[in-house]
Amino acid sequence: MKLKLMILAVSLVSFAGGAAGGFDFGKLLEDRVKEELNKDKPTQPAPVPPTDQAPAEAQGAASPPPAKQKIDARQLGLTLLTGYSPEEETRIGRQIAGDLLGAVPLVRDDKLQNYVNLVGSWVALQSGRKDITWHFGVLDTEDINAFAAPGGYVFLTKGLYRRLNNEAELAGVLAHEIAHVTQKHHLKVLKESSLIGALGQAASKKAKDSDPVVQNLIGNGAEIMARKLDKNAEFEADRVGIVLAARSGYEPWGLPAVLQDMAGLPAKDSRTSLLYTTHPHPADRLAALGEAVNGRLDSVRGKDVASRFYRIK
Amino acid sequence: MKTFLIPAAALALCAASVSAWAAPGTVLRAEKLYSQPASTSKVTASVAKGASVDILAKQGGWLQVRAGRSTGWIRLLSVRAGAGGVAGVGARDVVGAATTRSDPGRVVAVAGLRGLNEEDLKQAKFNAEELARMEALSVTAAQARSFAGQSGLTVAKVPDLPKPQAAQPASTWESN
Repeated sequence: MKLKLMILAVSLVSFAGGAAGGFDFGKLLEDRVKEELNKDKPTQPAPVPPTDQAPAEAQGAASPPPAKQKIDARQLGLTLLTGYSPEEETRIGRQIAGDLLGAVPLVRDDKLQNYVNLVGSWVALQSGRKDITWHFGVLDTEDINAFAAPGGYVFLTKGLYRRLNNEAELAGVLAHEIAHVTQKHHLKVLKESSLIGALGQAASKKAKDSDPVVQNLIGNGAEIMARKLDKNAEFEADRVGIVLAARSGYEPWGLPAVLQDMAGLPAKDSRTSLLYTTHPHPADRLAALGEAVNGRLDSVRGKDVASRFYRIK
Repeated sequence: MKTFLIPAAALALCAASVSAWAAPGTVLRAEKLYSQPASTSKVTASVAKGASVDILAKQGGWLQVRAGRSTGWIRLLSVRAGAGGVAGVGARDVVGAATTRSDPGRVVAVAGLRGLNEEDLKQAKFNAEELARMEALSVTAAQARSFAGQSGLTVAKVPDLPKPQAAQPASTWESN
């Protein structure tokens, strides 16, 4: 199974890497998808979300062929070839978040959850993404990890939270996840993989109140949280995250301190096994971040806000 | 310091006993040690990539370390906590063998707790109740700003970090 995931990861990387070579292949897939779309058109009423792209589409009506293509792709909720609107992104994120919460519930501590939402929302305000609503949650597991789903659904585990020492460290962890959302890392993976999935079977896993269109598209959404992103996506999230935390007024060394702590954990600790299958080793992340930061943050004076850091009982 | 004369095994024992009050660390890239936690202070020594240090204190983005006979301040991001060399060797030896990388479904329960794994995520069924709970926890931008203001957090101008030019540090993590 792991092998399969890795093959998928490798093919995704090469897909993304060979832009020129990938184009023809992409065209081929596009044609196949269009065939599929036209076949299913009468039976699938389409959600056409209102987006800020609407004027562009209206404008495109003057030149019918490209506009037609775009609408075709949207009619199945498959915006695989055009990019996702914020509404679609949120819809996908909700599905993934709901699936993940099916594996692990939230910690039953409203003060904790509120505190994390306040810190996370403050950091997210500096990210420049205002077209989505941000949601933060602490998952009730001793596993040490954090997750981000598209559309602004951000999670960290109780096991990770317990290791934090101050608000700047929390802000650093959340900022890394917020960066995954703003850089659309998971969305890019989904876009590539679900394009392939769309050609195959679209068997619906029935679940109460879940979104069948999106579920068809992405399969079990929680699974993508176990999928490894390109390591450069993780390094990028560290770079963007450390800056986001600093822009929010925190000292920038929160995220590095957490990475330091994780680098010092015993390797056999089962609480980090999933983290290590999905992320580069913390020591590699520290080294990459160190190269990027060097002396650039020397003059940043932020706060660690240790005094009001919420401790889990 | 006759420490340097005693055999490796004894040295390891010695390091272990020292770690009771100073945490071991490994230097991730060739670096300078400074007399103060500031790059404007005097350079007291240089350390090579892979060198072992004892971490004595932390201040902001700096760690006070002892490397051999020298003590000084080094950038936080240039040191990893823990012995065992830079990521490559140490990580492969320790983690490569010990984590469940080759078989993520297999659980190595050293901590006595079963960690979250891929299988848990694959089997997960959409939980509408928990999602509703999470969405109800959302706060407004105004609430977040007020919260930040209470502890004197203010927006700072910090430029984006450049994308590194050179290849990323090689990680055996990725390739095995």
